[in-house]
Amino acid sequence: MLLPNVIMFSIFTLYPVCWVLKYMFYQYDKVHEPIFIGLDNFVRLFTRDPYFWKTVGNTFYYVGLKLIITLPIAFIVAVILNRKFFGSETIRSIIFLPTIMCSSVMALIFYLILNPYSGALNMILQRLHLIGAPINWLSYQNALTTCVIVGVWGAIGNYMVYFMAGLQSVPQEIYESAELDGITAPQKMFKITIPMMMPVIKTVVMLALIGSFQDMQSIMVLTEGGPNGASDVMFLYIYRMFFPVSATTASTAQYGYGAALSVVCASIIGIVTFAYLQATKHMDDIY
Amino acid sequence: MKKDNVTKVVATILKVLFLAALIVFTLYPVLYALMGSLKTNMQLVLGDGFFPKTWEFKNYVYAFQKLNFFRYTANSLILCTICTVLAIVVSSMAGFCMARYDFPLKKALNVLYLALMFVSLGSVTIYPVYMMMNKAGMTNNLLGLALVITGGQASNIFLVRGFVNSVPRDLDESAKLDGCGKFKTFIYIIVPLIRPIIAVVGLFAFRNAWNDYITSMIFTIGKKSLQPLTVAVVSLRYSVNAAAEWHIMAAGASIAIVPILIVYIFTNKQFISGLTAGAIKG
Repeated sequence: MLLPNVIMFSIFTLYPVCWVLKYMFYQYDKVHEPIFIGLDNFVRLFTRDPYFWKTVGNTFYYVGLKLIITLPIAFIVAVILNRKFFGSETIRSIIFLPTIMCSSVMALIFYLILNPYSGALNMILQRLHLIGAPINWLSYQNALTTCVIVGVWGAIGNYMVYFMAGLQSVPQEIYESAELDGITAPQKMFKITIPMMMPVIKTVVMLALIGSFQDMQSIMVLTEGGPNGASDVMFLYIYRMFFPVSATTASTAQYGYGAALSVVCASIIGIVTFAYLQATKHMDDIY
Repeated sequence: MKKDNVTKVVATILKVLFLAALIVFTLYPVLYALMGSLKTNMQLVLGDGFFPKTWEFKNYVYAFQKLNFFRYTANSLILCTICTVLAIVVSSMAGFCMARYDFPLKKALNVLYLALMFVSLGSVTIYPVYMMMNKAGMTNNLLGLALVITGGQASNIFLVRGFVNSVPRDLDESAKLDGCGKFKTFIYIIVPLIRPIIAVVGLFAFRNAWNDYITSMIFTIGKKSLQPLTVAVVSLRYSVNAAAEWHIMAAGASIAIVPILIVYIFTNKQFISGLTAGAIKG
């Protein structure tokens, strides 16, 4: 009974990992037979590929900004909705809604909304006289930040639910006894809720970190990493090494190099996660 | 006392404004798609009002008849059904085994599941799988695609295992005494008791299959008639007169959105609690 899963796990999870670990040492493209070239892919990656490091920089910008915007909003919503009131469940369901939507289809809709001339966003802003001329949201300067906002749209509900589960675990008696002592609302927030939630916050930040590093589906549809690489993230770059056919760029597939890139990316995420866990080690001591 | 009341009112107003802004931000793109699908292209491109002036149901007729969306919808439904069934069957059986039985290499398998859950190689893994499936003649084939989307299921196995662990072992033992084999125990004793988690696994499998884009796109690259909705909708962006056909894009997007919305309206509690269960165990 375990067998079907073991087979599927080996084929779809284990096999690709082994494949990547092998071909990262090869020069391998569509035309030629794979040639063993040792560490040359890594030498190229670290010394001759500034574009890759640009995508790494973009990725960090994307992840950092997305977390900074998403998590506080999600936390505040969770705190507000934690106290039941009329309609609170409906609001929770609405805010969770983007989580079940297809990010590529929604990215297409955002693409329409953000269109500089016929898009709804510029029209609304112009009618409210907030901006004079249409803004090109997908220009070189704005594209990456726009992608972040679309990412935030899809992520708030998810982390809200995590935070709400965490808030449920804070024992109610603490609040009750604090209220007897005449605690004020901000004190309640900063002296009880946030410290008690620290272990949960720590875990949620880690999940958000790992998850955001892998976002590429909506960026792929919204900007394809463009214009001119302005919103290219590292996994999208790798993707093009394997499947170079996109609407705007055409290049040849480089499987070996792509494999090496993906190992480096996985290591980057691993290092960031590890550093984060080390840095927040003391936070578990709250209890 | 009076000052207290004032701060309370201000706090409430701020809360309401905050929630209202967030709801608008969340719902606007979805409503834009749904409303846009019923507008004329002219109205949509000119941004003339939020509600449709004339209700253009012919956008849908056009998508279904001219653009073959019946086909894509059927593809999506078939794909989702296979994925949901596969995920439920495979991961519940495996989770049951991991929870109840000892076998050689169990520890190693466990470590492997856990380790690879956290290694993110991104979309790279699609390529070797694609080549292998290609050799096996399983590309451009909905069953093959469903297998790939279902994949290793490691996190679901941990979910099921945790749930099976909470079922008392005595039940298994007594079933065994009554002459139930492994398989019968699973079907008659375990499955009815772990139904809630099976529902969660199925629901999330359905969502993932319905919303998958990259894998589906790659595996149907040679055969447009097998594309699921997501791929077909996004490809509208690149079609020849994409600039002129926003209303059709909106209609296509709505066709992809509405079914999952309907599922969500009836199951949002399970979705939300399922996510929490997954996060705690995972």
